[in-house]
Amino acid sequence: MSETPTDYRKYLDPRTLARISSLDLRARLIVEGLMTGMHRSPYQGISVEFAQHRPYVAGDDIRHVDWKVFGRSDKIYLKQYQEETNLHLICVVDSSESMGFTSFDKETFGPWSKYDHATAIAASLSYMAIQQQDSVGLAVFDQALSRYFKPSNSPSQWRLITQELQTIPKWNKTNTGKILDQLAEKLTHRSLIVILSDFFDDLESIKKGLRHLRYKKHEIMMFQILDPQEIEFPFEDVTMFKGLEEMGELLTEPRSLRAGYLEQLKQFTEGLQKLCRSMNIDFVRMNSGESLDVTLSGFLANRAASMK
Amino acid sequence: MMNEMQMLADVRLYLGLHSSFIIPHSAFPLAFGFLTPAFALAGLLLAAIPIIIHILNRRRYKIVTWAAMEFLLNAMKKNRRRLKFEQWLLLAVRCLVLGLLGLALARPLGCENASLAGLGASRSGVHVFVIDNSYSMAYEVDRPGAPTHLAQAKVIAKGTIDRLSRGGESVAIVTASSPAAAIGNGKPTYDLDAAKAAIDRIEQSAGGTDIQGALQLALQIGRDESKQPVRSLYLLTDCTKSAWETSQSNAVKQTAAELATVFKITNFNLSRGQQSNQATIDVSPGSNLLTTKFPVDYRTTVRAFGSPAELPLQWKINDQLQSGGGLVKLDSQTPAQTLSNVSIKTGGPAVITASLAGGDKLPIDNTRYLVSMVASELKVLIVEGERGMGGAGGSGAFLQLALSPPKTSDRLINGNFKTDSYVSAESIGSLELAGKVLTDYSAVAMADVGQITAQQADRLADYVKNGGTLLWFMGEQVSSDNYNQMLVPRKLLPGPLAKRMSVASDQTGYLFDFKPRAPMHRLLNIFAGEDRSGLDTAQIFTYWSVVIPNESGVERVLDYLPAGSKPGATTSKDKSTAADPAITSHALGRGRVVFFSTSAGPEWTSFPAKPAYVTLMHEMLGGSVTSGDAWLNRTVGQAIELPTSIQVSGQPTLTDPAQKSIVLTPGAVGSAVAFRSEPLTRPGIYTLNVGTRTLPVAVDVPSDEADVRTLDNPAIKSALGNVEVELLQDQLPPEAVSTQAGNDFGWSVMLIVLIMVGLECFLAMQFGHTRRVLVKA
Repeated sequence: MSETPTDYRKYLDPRTLARISSLDLRARLIVEGLMTGMHRSPYQGISVEFAQHRPYVAGDDIRHVDWKVFGRSDKIYLKQYQEETNLHLICVVDSSESMGFTSFDKETFGPWSKYDHATAIAASLSYMAIQQQDSVGLAVFDQALSRYFKPSNSPSQWRLITQELQTIPKWNKTNTGKILDQLAEKLTHRSLIVILSDFFDDLESIKKGLRHLRYKKHEIMMFQILDPQEIEFPFEDVTMFKGLEEMGELLTEPRSLRAGYLEQLKQFTEGLQKLCRSMNIDFVRMNSGESLDVTLSGFLANRAASMK
Repeated sequence: MMNEMQMLADVRLYLGLHSSFIIPHSAFPLAFGFLTPAFALAGLLLAAIPIIIHILNRRRYKIVTWAAMEFLLNAMKKNRRRLKFEQWLLLAVRCLVLGLLGLALARPLGCENASLAGLGASRSGVHVFVIDNSYSMAYEVDRPGAPTHLAQAKVIAKGTIDRLSRGGESVAIVTASSPAAAIGNGKPTYDLDAAKAAIDRIEQSAGGTDIQGALQLALQIGRDESKQPVRSLYLLTDCTKSAWETSQSNAVKQTAAELATVFKITNFNLSRGQQSNQATIDVSPGSNLLTTKFPVDYRTTVRAFGSPAELPLQWKINDQLQSGGGLVKLDSQTPAQTLSNVSIKTGGPAVITASLAGGDKLPIDNTRYLVSMVASELKVLIVEGERGMGGAGGSGAFLQLALSPPKTSDRLINGNFKTDSYVSAESIGSLELAGKVLTDYSAVAMADVGQITAQQADRLADYVKNGGTLLWFMGEQVSSDNYNQMLVPRKLLPGPLAKRMSVASDQTGYLFDFKPRAPMHRLLNIFAGEDRSGLDTAQIFTYWSVVIPNESGVERVLDYLPAGSKPGATTSKDKSTAADPAITSHALGRGRVVFFSTSAGPEWTSFPAKPAYVTLMHEMLGGSVTSGDAWLNRTVGQAIELPTSIQVSGQPTLTDPAQKSIVLTPGAVGSAVAFRSEPLTRPGIYTLNVGTRTLPVAVDVPSDEADVRTLDNPAIKSALGNVEVELLQDQLPPEAVSTQAGNDFGWSVMLIVLIMVGLECFLAMQFGHTRRVLVKA
């Protein structure tokens, strides 16, 4: 009994994912949901090793049609191949205190911080990579590189990564630039580095770290994960803001500060985007309250295009 | 500059000293004040509310842990000055909105400066109109659109109201017809159309003028509205002498003096030139004793006020034209006209009408009515303290014989006998008094009754108060202690019995102080010039000396000669100390009490043997009894008060000459009034049905109102005590009577409040305090 595609796609919604405690399961469900909705798998291309046939659906590339089968059975099937890549995927996850911020009510929504969003994405990407025999590594950092797993394509790597990502962080301060520097020194093989963070750090320091990574010929993808409240700043009443990562306190009437705050956020994000563009880095801003498919499918399509 | 500073300092001082203040116009070129200063104070307090809310909000806040703190701090750092400015601006606007709202409600008042007044929305003030709607205001003149003085008064009043500022100035109306009344309980109305409609509804009264009452009502309104910056009083009257030159003239002057401190007074004199009117101003019987036994004369007073005239006078009795009257030359001194020897053969009420034929400009007062109660017999109850054998020889026997001599001397029936006299005297013992209905008798004579119980005293007092006549005769049985205890507090005696005065048996008795040619009491007028009446020679051997309190209203009819004085000798001018009263008379309620200090019979005096005895007894009776018809003769503005002595079966009904029913309400329990009507407004003959019989009630125009001669403006000013008053004639002057003072800036400030509210909304939106922007991730 097969499930309908919509059954899987619901697992792309943070509201659903928040209720699934196992990161392993989360990642599988995300990937299933993501793949079910795609007409064309970015990881099943024109490689050498035949994998399977599958029925043609509208939109498929007719170059992959197996005409022999069509001649015998009058049915259109596509030939699918197991793609062989030599990809080293390194997921770099920010576990600083600011990533623990959430505006969602645990009672109605479930626990879903920016860190939860980041780990779900990291696990999903890792799962997909391991499924196609790519090597996956993981780096978790705050003010220091707290954990690092070298890239590997062994099945046990997946378990190590999920276990590590499920470990509750210490919620320290962050120091992104320095960590990226350290990572650049550690990585000896050209890799695809996916950085999952809110990047609430010094832009110059981040720039320096990124430049180091690019110098080592690594490909970089940056996922900036923000909470809906951080994006909209919807506060009305007089509020005492207590800053995470020892940023102090501020008692203010938020309505009057809203415009200024949003302007500051916009300037920072634009600065980050500009930086990424200048270094040919893919940059995606993610709302931790929105579905993951938009960003993940966009990412995968982007990757597929770049691999051709 | 110094002057301005001094002025500001004075203003501050003034504000500090007065919670309710209006600075006098004369003190400052810019007079100002508040109509309701409490609102201004409330506004100041309200202005603190935004500050309090601001402080409270700073103390009550939500706590949020925040990751993007750096952006927030940067935003704060960058916008700190702007944010502070915006917050202060908003706070100031909000405080101003509330403060100005209080200011607007406090009705800030204007000034004498015309340009500033132009900024004000309206004037504030109260305008009191005293409109004379008395009978004389019905005087007809050749005035287009306003045929009577009252109609012209309404035109002027409404014209003045049309010049008032709507919403800012209020109007109160007082009518001066007696009794004066304030429309709407004297509460000024800001609805000027309603005020004009109320003026239109003022009816022409046939009553007199109650100037003093109207001015008092106006004064009360002025005092109630003392916070109004402008207070105007308009008197609209025909200024008749009869209305202004009364016994209350001094009171009017005093009230006018107080009014002048409260109001700016304007008098509209609505009279036009020499007014004239002919009227019948009085009809009265020639005697108190109206019986079917004797003919009686009726007199009428007819007058022409203003121009003399000659008009026929008609008499009617019960609507039957009488042969008297004829053409009468009328002026202000026309002698009384008499309808002589009127014999009314049927007992009960009779309606006497005297009327001047021919119309004038006040026709109603040409006719006057009188209701006379004609008695078929005058019933007198004689209560004896000492009863004689077989009904004769009692202490009241001589009195009974004097009042109603028997047809034949041998027909005594239980002490009473048949008589041809108009008086029907019934003699009883004092113990029988309890069984008698006193209101059945015109008079009760107490002859040598020893003891009076409290219950008897109460009954006698009620009887007199309801119109009865009570005669006291002394004697051996009389207990002074009992009389002083029971009768003096109830005013049934002229004063306490002080001392029993007696002479020895071998001495000459006391004498009455009677001189036939000296001025004497009206009850003795019949003896005037009569040398052999016997009054001056009758001897009194014993009498009770009575002490008459000062200002008790007791009339001394006859005194004793002081001991040792000879008849005819000159006595002391101070009779109250020099002589004891022999006979007194005083009023109590609607009745009278006559006190005879010696015995009714020959026990203490030789007077019963004198020829004057019978005459004096009849004169005392006839001069004291009342016909009991005063309550049936009323003037417009008075109410009908049905005495409890009238037998009523069920709810009595009263209809006016137009057959309109008048409501009668029960009188207070214990009072002498059984039922009472509202003040009557229509002259003519009313019909009162008391169940057992129907009684006519005569309601006439007040005689004063017939005198339409008027006062000129200087005389009016004098009648008002020469207070400051603007004297105008019967036309509204072209210039508005209103002034620029008292402009109300309340609405202007309210407009500013509305603008400030709009500004607050705009600023709050502009400063991002209400705006919500959706930001996409």
